[in-house]
Amino acid sequence: MEELFGRSGNMLKMAVAACALLCAAYTTGDARADELSLKGKKIGVSIVGTDHYWDLMAFKGITEEIQKLGGEAIALDAGRKDQQQIAHLQTLLAQKPDAVVEVLGNIEVLNPWLQKIKEAGIPLFTVDTVTPHALNNTTSNNYNIGAEIALQMVADMGGKGNVLVFNGFYSVPVCKIRYDQLKYVLTSFPEVKIIEPELRDVIPNTVQKAYSDVTDMLTKMPEKDSVKAVWACWDVPQIGASQAAEAAGRTEVRTYGIDGSPEVIKMVMDPKSTAAAVAAQQPYEIGRTAVQNVAKHLAGQVVPPFTMVPAVLINKENAAEKGKPFLDAAEAAGVK
Amino acid sequence: MASASASGPKGLAGRGIATFAVRAGAFGAFVAVIVYFILFAPGFTSPFNIFNVVEQSAILGVLAFGMAIVIIGGGSNITEGGIDLSMAANMGLCAAAYASLLQAGYSDLVSVAAVLLVGAVVGAVNALAVVGLGILPLLATLAVMNIAGGAELTLTENTVVPASSPLLAFLMTGRFLDVSVLAWFLILFSGLMAVAIHYTGVGLRLYAVGGHPEAARAAGLGVRRYVSLTYVFAGLCAAIASVLTVSRLSASTPGSNEMLLSILAAALLGTVFSRRFVPTVGGTLLSVLFIGFLSNGFQLLNVSSYWVNGVQGALILLVVAATSFARGQEA
Repeated sequence: MEELFGRSGNMLKMAVAACALLCAAYTTGDARADELSLKGKKIGVSIVGTDHYWDLMAFKGITEEIQKLGGEAIALDAGRKDQQQIAHLQTLLAQKPDAVVEVLGNIEVLNPWLQKIKEAGIPLFTVDTVTPHALNNTTSNNYNIGAEIALQMVADMGGKGNVLVFNGFYSVPVCKIRYDQLKYVLTSFPEVKIIEPELRDVIPNTVQKAYSDVTDMLTKMPEKDSVKAVWACWDVPQIGASQAAEAAGRTEVRTYGIDGSPEVIKMVMDPKSTAAAVAAQQPYEIGRTAVQNVAKHLAGQVVPPFTMVPAVLINKENAAEKGKPFLDAAEAAGVK
Repeated sequence: MASASASGPKGLAGRGIATFAVRAGAFGAFVAVIVYFILFAPGFTSPFNIFNVVEQSAILGVLAFGMAIVIIGGGSNITEGGIDLSMAANMGLCAAAYASLLQAGYSDLVSVAAVLLVGAVVGAVNALAVVGLGILPLLATLAVMNIAGGAELTLTENTVVPASSPLLAFLMTGRFLDVSVLAWFLILFSGLMAVAIHYTGVGLRLYAVGGHPEAARAAGLGVRRYVSLTYVFAGLCAAIASVLTVSRLSASTPGSNEMLLSILAAALLGTVFSRRFVPTVGGTLLSVLFIGFLSNGFQLLNVSSYWVNGVQGALILLVVAATSFARGQEA
């Protein structure tokens, strides 16, 4: 843990203090985890999809921790189909598990069904889903992540210039927070302008779509430095955006994203890549922590409304040092 | 639909055996899968779960009936007969239109009317392409699928459009005799379809138009009009399904086209239960529920939902292969 959690050049003092607190809370939580048990408990897990590194790692973290604590997981992966996820939640309602862990998805779609789970008296825990119906949401501190990546971008841009923004998933709560934080940071830097209309990232074919969208925009704005940065609330569009900028010979463009997929961390490590920074999260730990919260609640302990697992901003300067632990973690989990 | 002129006792016997084998095989497979779930899927037989599946099948049911009508009217020859590949995309467009209208402040009445119009217009475009321009339905509706999909993207920019209204709340939470509104909807819609298709002159003439267009024309039926109307009806079904979808998701969301495989599987599988391999209301409903139970059983057995896609694809292949084989015996 400790090596993941060093002082980054751009970290605000507040953020460091907050993270230190969290880290402390987190390690004590982990110490207690040895005594936690889910023996004889049935835990329903619903995730919107596992086609992205983050989702898959969180899903693994959840299901493996349930197993480790001796519980039985009913783990349902909706394959990025909202209709399917609703059917899954309905099935879980019928199964009456001892608790439900819900991961990601569109909040408008989920909320009425999460409410039904709460009303059925099933303890609801979420990962990356901010909803009043959950007992606890385990997540990264997306307020910090959003501000940090935005500040890094503004710093790299020298405080002025145009930025291309992917904003296709504002209905996903964590993306909303990160996007809102970006906008808030930009209120202090009026010379940084978001190019309108904003771009829409999609699932599936995220990389291809981002590649063609960014290529089109760079063609439309051919002067050097007319586009200085590309921002997305996750890092898969960042892959396509970086490749597009490099293919177009526009190496002055810098790309920014969040999550820390190994592929993107490697790009940030590569001095020649246009990928400038990524906020790397610990999805496996987030999944594990959510399950530990379930176990604590079922053991009668008080669980706070949210638990935040530390994330690290990886940029060109610190990539070699800060990136490695994340790549090691990915390798250890056997996920590329 | 060239030759139903099986000649001589040998042809008749061969056809009889092949048809029987296909139908028995299909029934057998259905029963075997359901029995397996009853034995091994925890909670499968609880009434709560069964009504969940009926409720979850309502959207697919409405769409599959639309597809079934197109297949009945256009003939069930898989390459040249009636088919509407645009239904799922049309539903997506309608859902986007419905959610956008509600968000713009229009009432349920206005929004639903507008959405029915949108669905019917897309259906009419299909009819124009197929009947008016004589384009193969497979290609014509594929093109319209892309038009509808593109229109949806233009409208929503590929985002989730949240929606709420009294009608949506009623569809989402309403219950009668402890059965949800959506489940009732499927039951009543199926009943209406059964009466319209199997107990009225319109239904009979529709089968005639699809089965023997020449004979139907000779008998003075407006074949072109009937076929055109099947596409408009399918469009209306897509519009109705879109309202149900928005109620379940409290929003219109991208990715409706994913439904196409299920619609095709349900409608084609439904043909296996009739002696002449044409869609029937009972057969279609049975297939819809079967697909629902398949997906539900997989969930309960903790089998990845990705398998459901594969199984549906395999079912389509099997049905098409089996029915072509059995029809081949007719010649």
